[in-house]
Order: sequence, then structure tokens, then C-alpha cells
Amino acid sequence: MSSRRVPAGLLVAGLLMGALPFLKLPAFYESFLYLALFWIVLATSWNILSGYAGYFSFGHGAFFGAGVYTSATLAAKFNWPFLWTLPVAALVAAAIGVGVGAVVFRVRGVRGEVFALLTLAVTFVLATIIGNTPIDGGPGVYLNAVPVPRLGPSPTSSLYLMMLAAAMLTLLVSWAIRHSRFGAGLFAIHDDEDAAEVMGVPTYRWKLAALAVSCALAGLAGGIHALFISYVTTAETFNLTVPLTVVLMSILGGTRHWAGPAIGTVAITCLLFAFTGGEYAVLGKGAIGLILVIGILFMPEGVMGFRAFARTPRGVMGSPPPRPSPSRGRVPADPPPPPGEGRGGGTSEVLLDVRGLSKSFRGLKALSNVSLQVRKGEILGLLGPNGSGKSTFINVVSGHYLPNGGEVWLDGRNIAGLPAHEIARAGIARTYQIPRPFAQMTVLDNVAIAAMYAGRGLPSLEAGRREAMQWLEFTHLAGKAHSLPGELNLHQRKFLELARALASRPKLVLLDEVLCGLTPTEIQFAVEQIRRIRDQGTTIVFVEHVMDAVMALTDRLVVFDQGVMLAEGAPREVMQSPAVMSAYLGMAHA
Amino acid sequence: MSFPSWTLLSQSVLSGVFAGALYGLLGLGLGLSWGLLRTINLAHFAFAFLSAYICYQLAAVSHVDPLLTLAGIVPLMFALGAGLHWLTDRFRLTPFSSLLLTFGCMGIVESLMQTLWTADPRKLESHYAEMKFRLGPLYLPIPEVLTLLLAVAITVAVWAVLRFTDLGKALRASAEDAPVAAAFGINQRRNGFLLAGTCSAIAGIAGVCIALSSSISPSQMYAWVGVVFAAVMLGGLGSALGPLLAGIVIGVSEAVTMAVTSPSWAPLVSFTLLILILLLRPGRIR
Amino acid sequence: MTTRTTFQRRTVLAAAAASAALPLAAWAQQPPIRIGSTLALTGPLSATAQVHKLVGEIYVEDLNKRGGLLGRKVEWILKDDQSKADLARTLYEQLITSDKVDLLMGPYATGGILSAMGVAQRYNKVLVHHTLGVPSLAKYDMQFPAWSLGSDPGVTTTNTVFEALAKGPKPPKTVAVVTSKFPSIHFMSMGARETLKKRGLQEVLFLEWEFGNRDFGPIASRVKDAKPDFVWVGAIGLDGNLLLDAMKKIDYAPPQHFYLYPAPGPLVTLPEASGALSVTIFEEHPPFTSRPKAAEFIKTYHERAAKANFPDTSVEVQAAASFTAWQILEGAVNATKSLDDKVLADWLKKNRVETIQGSLRFDGPSNYGDDLMRIKQVQNGKWVVVYPPEFAAPGAKMTAR
Repeated sequence: MSSRRVPAGLLVAGLLMGALPFLKLPAFYESFLYLALFWIVLATSWNILSGYAGYFSFGHGAFFGAGVYTSATLAAKFNWPFLWTLPVAALVAAAIGVGVGAVVFRVRGVRGEVFALLTLAVTFVLATIIGNTPIDGGPGVYLNAVPVPRLGPSPTSSLYLMMLAAAMLTLLVSWAIRHSRFGAGLFAIHDDEDAAEVMGVPTYRWKLAALAVSCALAGLAGGIHALFISYVTTAETFNLTVPLTVVLMSILGGTRHWAGPAIGTVAITCLLFAFTGGEYAVLGKGAIGLILVIGILFMPEGVMGFRAFARTPRGVMGSPPPRPSPSRGRVPADPPPPPGEGRGGGTSEVLLDVRGLSKSFRGLKALSNVSLQVRKGEILGLLGPNGSGKSTFINVVSGHYLPNGGEVWLDGRNIAGLPAHEIARAGIARTYQIPRPFAQMTVLDNVAIAAMYAGRGLPSLEAGRREAMQWLEFTHLAGKAHSLPGELNLHQRKFLELARALASRPKLVLLDEVLCGLTPTEIQFAVEQIRRIRDQGTTIVFVEHVMDAVMALTDRLVVFDQGVMLAEGAPREVMQSPAVMSAYLGMAHA
Repeated sequence: MSFPSWTLLSQSVLSGVFAGALYGLLGLGLGLSWGLLRTINLAHFAFAFLSAYICYQLAAVSHVDPLLTLAGIVPLMFALGAGLHWLTDRFRLTPFSSLLLTFGCMGIVESLMQTLWTADPRKLESHYAEMKFRLGPLYLPIPEVLTLLLAVAITVAVWAVLRFTDLGKALRASAEDAPVAAAFGINQRRNGFLLAGTCSAIAGIAGVCIALSSSISPSQMYAWVGVVFAAVMLGGLGSALGPLLAGIVIGVSEAVTMAVTSPSWAPLVSFTLLILILLLRPGRIR
Repeated sequence: MTTRTTFQRRTVLAAAAASAALPLAAWAQQPPIRIGSTLALTGPLSATAQVHKLVGEIYVEDLNKRGGLLGRKVEWILKDDQSKADLARTLYEQLITSDKVDLLMGPYATGGILSAMGVAQRYNKVLVHHTLGVPSLAKYDMQFPAWSLGSDPGVTTTNTVFEALAKGPKPPKTVAVVTSKFPSIHFMSMGARETLKKRGLQEVLFLEWEFGNRDFGPIASRVKDAKPDFVWVGAIGLDGNLLLDAMKKIDYAPPQHFYLYPAPGPLVTLPEASGALSVTIFEEHPPFTSRPKAAEFIKTYHERAAKANFPDTSVEVQAAASFTAWQILEGAVNATKSLDDKVLADWLKKNRVETIQGSLRFDGPSNYGDDLMRIKQVQNGKWVVVYPPEFAAPGAKMTAR
């Protein structure tokens, strides 16, 4: 339940600050505040991609510069009215960003520092192009002849008001994203992009969207700034200090909070300004460095990440816990049925039809021409010695890996080769053998991601959390809803995986050794839960080594060995077949 | 535009190799720190320039041979680097917080350098600057050759240590999975200090090379940040050979551009090349 | 007898003390005149800005010793714009609207000056500045330059350079033009290309590099390959040094060479810079030193620069331009006995100010007057003016390799 107070508060603050020019204070206050607001826009917009989604960009200067030069060129060389240049500046910056992102995000392995370097390179490339073509060509662009729009009593006031509007817009956007389904997806991408994709988050589109928003805001700030400094050169605009300062301000303030960068900005701007006195300028620079050093030593997570804030019951996403669902109090809670399904055991209707599926890793054939069918409502057991291809099978079916050949038919559609998030939306969910929760999101939000993105997907963060709460109750994790996954023990993390897999009410759940590492009591409980899930109509494929559970739960068994399907049928028969026995135990025991 | 002569091209390639060697030497410590210690150490540049200034002071004012100044500079930088590591370790800083911390250190050191030596550029006039080799029509000035040799030697040494010695394996293991490595009895604290100190010592050597081959001023260190980061990120974090190879790629591509067409296009060529390398084979130089 | 003499003496002394104290008392009662400006005290531009800081301090001290302005003490409010143009703009607004200074002085370098000019324009304040390199951008009515380029230096200054060469010992026939793309350099270099064509010289090479370029090796190689008689280097700051270093490394010394705005100290100490030409408005030798105030300024500057640990303590074009700027301001205030910006501006446009650069006028386009750039050369580790002959150091002539 995100508070409506924040946007209201921001608007009020914006209006109050907008009244400043009319108070007849010395114009210098507007200038100084302009600078602070300018950096707020840049730092906060940077944070939307880099802080939220974790794609650390070193090239914010490029998009800022694109905005600067767009406005400068349109206003000074083509005599456009200045205000009209601003949306164009934002659009151009966003277009460049999306253009770069569209190519870069398609390449696997572009993460972390590679992305940072790419964005840095884009800055230099753009600077050189602008500096060597008639856009600038060397002498810089001079905007003194451009009339400043009359928004306030003086030109400085007008610029101040423009940047104030930009800053309010940026902060509102930052807050809104933070508390939205989109933002939750970005945070999931931050923690584990592959898992997020498998959970249904359309990572490619989401990253492009975040990049577009980030660049557009930077371009807007750039456009306004062109008029503020009135003399624009490539050396100044594309200087490395812009992206570096933006990064530092965000880190100081805290990158996981919507207002973190703004706070860091205000701190650093005031600090820089405090030392502008001419007497001790050089020493002042050293003093600023010292203050930064001490500051970060005591607040390694940034100001907003500081202990006091992080430990409130609100958790990282910063909103109060959702109201308990009506089924609470009934122990154990029944899992809500998937839509359109009723209670039922195995039928003979085929849900998943795998034909000739193959997957190789550089010559090693992990899966060789595997064909099998999963019937609706059954529990299919998947067995085999280590390295036989069971996990690979799950990875390929869920889209974590792309197959090298073969088809996978679900509901009349071949989903083999589709991006993992579309497979998730089609109704397939999986757990990971070694749990992969999103480490910096609460348990509740971990499950909410699945609820929002996989299956049919819920449209808002609140709805996702409500649904998630029900599944946490089902897996007896409700008490840990606001903890971080790191605080859970193995059993609880396994059940978190389970809750995540179920939260989207999938048609098919792939359980990858969900029982391994559990105590006998825990295993018993888990088996119960799995049975109840099936009883509600969910089909389960169940990879396991714990034979008691396998024999007790499964309707049918499939055995893999070295990527090939060895046997298939009722559990007892399969386990007694000679081929299976020799695969497990060696020839002599047939 | 006539095609440049072979002499011109070769001399330019040499020039690019020398420039790249310095990028690589500066980048080596930065990359190791980032990849193996999870510290993005901007102070690296400050240490390099501080060493350059100390070398200048000793050589120009006290008439010590510039290469001998290494005897004092290397241990000093080692100590500073280890000290900085103590801070990041004790306060458990994340890579990004360490970025902020070391940026603050940069400001402190810059202020110190400007107070002691003013903002004016200083040039160390040593007899090394006069000396050069000739290879046919090509010139190889001694300070640059020295930089290249040092860069190659140190890079190879570091690579060998990481690859073949127990210490190297321990460092790489700790970087991959610190808790498990510790469980195997690896003394991470000691290794961390050793590595951090060594990285800064390498920075100190780079600083002496800078003093020998060009003019220095306090705010100049910021000019290197962009291109050295590029070399490090292209070469791969925690890689020993990467920064040097990447630095040379960047240096040579810029130099060749400057030889063939208008030098102002040089950054475009080198960084476009960089982008292409990254996109077409992201994990190549590792 | 003694009592009366003592009494008389005491009275005289008392009266003398009282009359001496009168102006002092008047001085103490009147508020000081505050002159505000910023300089790049930290950051990449600080190397040259520190010269301007020193000159300003020397000037203001001397001014106060002479009785200040209009009988009032002068106070210089200086702020650090950290080499950033947007900060300079904000600080100038602070100076005008919050600190409420009486007069302004310009900051260092083109970017900062243009920012300050915008602010001065909004508040109708006079802006005297010392280091604007692009006269065509000076579009404000009440700005006055101390960097005497004239209004079209791309033509006039480059002409002076080539004229000097033509009258020198080895008039060149082929020219290589290599330049930084830095705005205040670039347009001058383009002017040089035009001028050399008009004078019938042949351009054998034209190269531009990005501001901040580190590797001059290939550029030096290309210059060497082109075999020019004369190299025009559009250099700012250390570019010239780096290029000379690179040329030395390939055993190349251009027969004649020219550097536009080098960092003066470092260039003159470089052995391979011998014979390098540049432009200046002032050097430490006659006839410049015989101008009023020049000699004592040079002496004071030497002492203070040495104390401040500057590697180069000579007064050259930067320091001279700074001193001139203060002279302009003082001259206008004293002549009009006013602190009103409009009055000052009107006076300046119609009158001349005597400075250590010479007699300055401001009635040309963009308030620029004559092009006072002279040609200087590094000879025996020192800058000496060699052209025009009437401004050359006694007995100095241009040399060529």
C-alpha cells in the first residue's frame, strides 16, 4: 500500500519552492538552488537505471550532452522558441539511449563493468562526433541571443522554475517507479537477472524502458542547462566529471531509495559551495575529500541505507505490510485453486508435449532427442544419476537455456526457443535446486514478483503482495514476510522457492530437488504440501533423489541417463527395469 | 590525402604502444583491486601522481637519479595502499562505497599536491629524457621504452604469480567465493593487504614513469581516469594481462587514426573499436 | 623656556597627529569599496588563475597604500569557481545580489568570462576582464577587455605573425598549421590559414586535435614528414610542450615555430623550445618596463611569486593582462569619481586608459580597441619581443635555425 502522502508532499514542496522568485530574495539563491536541482535531476535519473536495475552506467554525460546540444542547436542556430526545444532534447537523448540499449542489451554477457564501459565509450564517441561536425565543430555554441522564456520575474528565476519543474517531475517518476510493478521488476533484475527473466519479468523491455526514462530526464536537464551556462563546448559538456559526480551523489545518498540520490546531491552541492571562499580554496578541496571519506566510512550504504532506515518493518520497498488475507487463522490454509481448474487427479489429457528435445554445451550432449509427455494433473517424477540431464531438462523447458533442437508444445503452442519470460507467462514455473532468491528484496516481494509477472500476471504491486501473502501462508513463511532471504535457513529458502513457483498459479510446476537437504520431518511436511498442490489441479514435474518421496508421490516416472530417456511408466515397473538398475547401480545388479 | 609513409605509420604505432603501456601499467593495479578485492580504487591515480611529484622533487631538487627514487617510492606506496585497504576492509565497504571513499582520497591528495607544488605544471628534466634508441628510421626514446619494459615485466610477473603460485590461487579463490575460500584456510586478511599494497606499489612505479616522460600538474590525474578505466574494463577485472593488452589496443588505434586522418577523430575510432570488441566478444580478453 | 618649547612641540605634534588621523578617521568611517570576482583557484585551470590571484592581491594592496579609490579602502572579494563555468555564474550572482559588491572584475578564461558576462548584463554592471580569447563572442555593451587582441585577431594578429616572419632572417615558404580545437585557439588557427594563403605561402599540413589529447607522437611524425619551413602550433597550456617533447623524441626540430597561448613558464625552460615564437602584450624589458608602474610591479611580483613557490616568477602576458584590467577599473573610477556602472562604461568608451600595455581605447567593435599583440621569441631561456622593431628588446632580432 504505497503512501499517497509522498507525491502530495512533493507537489506541495514544489509549489512552495516555486514561490521563491516572488519573494524578492537576492537572485543568487535561485542560482544556487538551480544548481542543486540540476544535479538532483541528473543523479535521480541515473539511479533509475543504475541504482534500481543495477546496470551501472558511466555514460550519463552522453545523454545529458545530447540534450544540451539539441537545445543549443535548435535555439541558437534554428531560432526555435526555447521551451519547445526541451521536449525534443529529452526525446533525442532517449532515442540515443534506446538505440544503444537495443543493441547492447541483446548481447549476452553485457553486465556490470562491460555495460559501464560501453556507456563510457558512447560518451567519447558522441563528444567526438559533435566536436567534428557542424553541430559544434570546435568553437562551441553561444546562446546569449536566445531569449529566456518569461516564466518568472527575471531570467534566473525562469531558469530556476524550469529546473524546479524538471526536478519535481524526476522525483515523482523515481518515487512512482519505486512503488510500482515496473520498479519491482527492475529490482529483481538488479539482484538476479536470469532468475527474474525466468520468473516472467520481460528483462529486455524493462531495461530499455528504464534506460529511456533515465536518458529522457537527463536530456531535459541538459536542455535547460544549455541556457543557464549560455556557452556550450564539447570539452565542458562531455567531461567525465558529470557521470562521476552523478555516481558519487547517488552512492552517498543511497541507490535503493527513490530520494537517495537527491539527498546525496544536496549534501555534496552544499559541501562544494561551502568551500568557495577564496582564502582557503585549495585546502578546502582537501577538506571536502576528508568529509566524504569520513561520511562513507560511517554510512557505507549511503545516507538512506543507513541502519535506522533499513531496519524498519517496512523493508526495502518502503511501504507498510499488506492487510492479512481473510484465510489467515485457518491452519493449515488451503492453496487457492488455479483459475478454471478443479480438484482432480491425473487425467489422460496432455499438458506438455516434448518432442525430440536436444541441448549441447560445446560438444557435450546434455540432452539427446528427448521426447515425453506430461499429463494434466499428474505428478511426473524425473529420475536419473547425476549428470543425466534432469536439471538441464528443467532449464530448457523453463527457458533458462535455449534448446539446440526439438519442440515443446504447451496448450497448442510451441514454446521452445521463446524468451524465458514468455514461457513463464504461458504458465510454467520452476524452482531452483540451489535457491536463488532476490537477495535484497524481502521474502514477500520475492514471491510478489512471480505473482505479478508469471502466469497471467497481476497488474499492480499491491495486488502482487496480497497474492504473495496467501502463498507465504501456504508455505508457513508468513512470519518471515518482511525478512531478507539471507535470514532464512535452508528449509525456509526451499519453501520460498516453492512459494515463488506457485504464486503465479502456473499450469505446470517444475520442482528441482526441492527436498534435498531437508530433515525427515521437513520432508514429510513438504510432501504433504506438494500433494495438496496437485490436488488443486496443478501439474507437477518432480526431480528428486529421495526415493521414499518419489515412490509415494509420483503417478508416473521417467528415468534419464546421460541425456537420454531410459524408461517411462508406473513407478514400480520403472524401478525394476534392468536398464534403470544398471544405470544406477552397475551391470551386476540386474 | 596521401597515404602516410611506412615510417610514419610505424612510428605512430610505436607511439601508440608506448602510450598503451602506460595505460596498462596504471590500469593493472586498478583492475586487480577491482576484480580481486572488490574495491574500485580511484585513489590509485592519486598515488601515481603523488609518486610522480615525489620523484620530481627528489630528482629535480635533490638531484637523485629518478630511477633510484623507486627505492623509496615503492615501499611508501605499498604502505599507503595497505593502509587504504585496512579502511575498506574494516568498514566493510561495497565496491561502490569504495569508489566514493577513494574519490575523497583523490581530493585530499590533490589538495596536498597543489599546496606543496602549486598548480603549475612541472617537468622533470633528466638525462633519461635525452636518450633514445634508433631502429632503422624509427626512434625509441628511453623513458618510453623503460615504461614499456616495466609494464610488460610487471604484467607478466603478476600473471605468473596469479596463475602458478599458491598465493595467486588463493587470491583468485577468495575473489570468487570468499567464505568458502576462508573455510579452506586461506588467510584472506593477509593476502588482501599484500595485494592492495602491491597494487599501490605498481601505481607508484607508473608515477615514476609518468614523471620521466611528461609534465605533471595536480589536476591532470583526472584526465587519465577515463581512458584507464576503459582499458581496465576492456581487459577484464582481475586480469593481469588484460589491461596492458587493452591499453595497447586503445593506444595504437588512436595513434594510427592520428597518423592517417585528422587527430581529432582519434577518440571516435578507439572507442568505436572498443564498443565493437565488447559487443562481438564480450568475454574475450579475460 | 623649555616648557614653552615642549608645549609648542607637543601642540605641533598633537596637531600633526590629529591631521594625520583625520583621513584615517575618515577612512575608518567610510565603508570600503568592494570589488568582487571569481577565479579558478582549484581544478584544471588553476595553474594560470593563481597568477591572476597574485596580481590582484598586489594591485589591491598597492591601491590601498596610495589611498584607495575615491578616498575609500578597497576590498577584493574573491571566490573559487573551481574551473566550472556554471559555478562562476552562480557566484557572480551571489556577489552582485547577496554580497552586494560595488564593482566587478572578470574571472579567468573564456568560459567563465562568458558566464559572468551574462550575469553582468542582467544587472547592468560593468565587467572588465583580462583573458577572453574570442572577441566575437563579447556581445555585451558594458564589457571591457584587457587582453588586447583587437576585434578581429584572426586577421590582425595572424598578420602580425606572418609579417614578422617575412621580415625575419628566413622568410618561410611552406607552413604547417597544427592546432587544438579549443574554441579560443581554433578560430585563430583558421585565421592563420587564411592569412598565409593571402600572403602567397603554401600550407603543407593541417591537423586538429581534441583538447586534452595526450599522445603527440603521430602528430610530431606528420609534421616532420611534411618538412615545413614554419610550424604554427595552435597550442594552449601544455600542448606546446608535449608537441616539442614528441618532436625531440624523433630528432626533429622545426626551422621556425610559433605557439599561440602556451603556459609560459614551462615552455621557456624547455631546451628544445629555443627560437619558439609567441604573442604577447608585455614582457620584462624596455620599452615595456619604462611605462609607468611597470618597473615596481615587476619587482613586487618577482618577490611575491618566489615566496609563493611559483616555478616561473617573471611577469608576462597573463600577469600583465591582469594588472591592466585593474588599471582600467581604477582609471575609470578615478576619472569619473563615480561607482555608477553606466557612468564608468560611458567614460571608458570615449576615453583612453594608460596602462602597462600601452594606451588602450575601447571604441571599436565589441568595445575592442587596437590589436596590441607583439611577437616574442625564446632566446637564451628568456622571452624577448622581436617584432615590431619599436617594441623589440634592445638589440634583439628574430633568429631562425
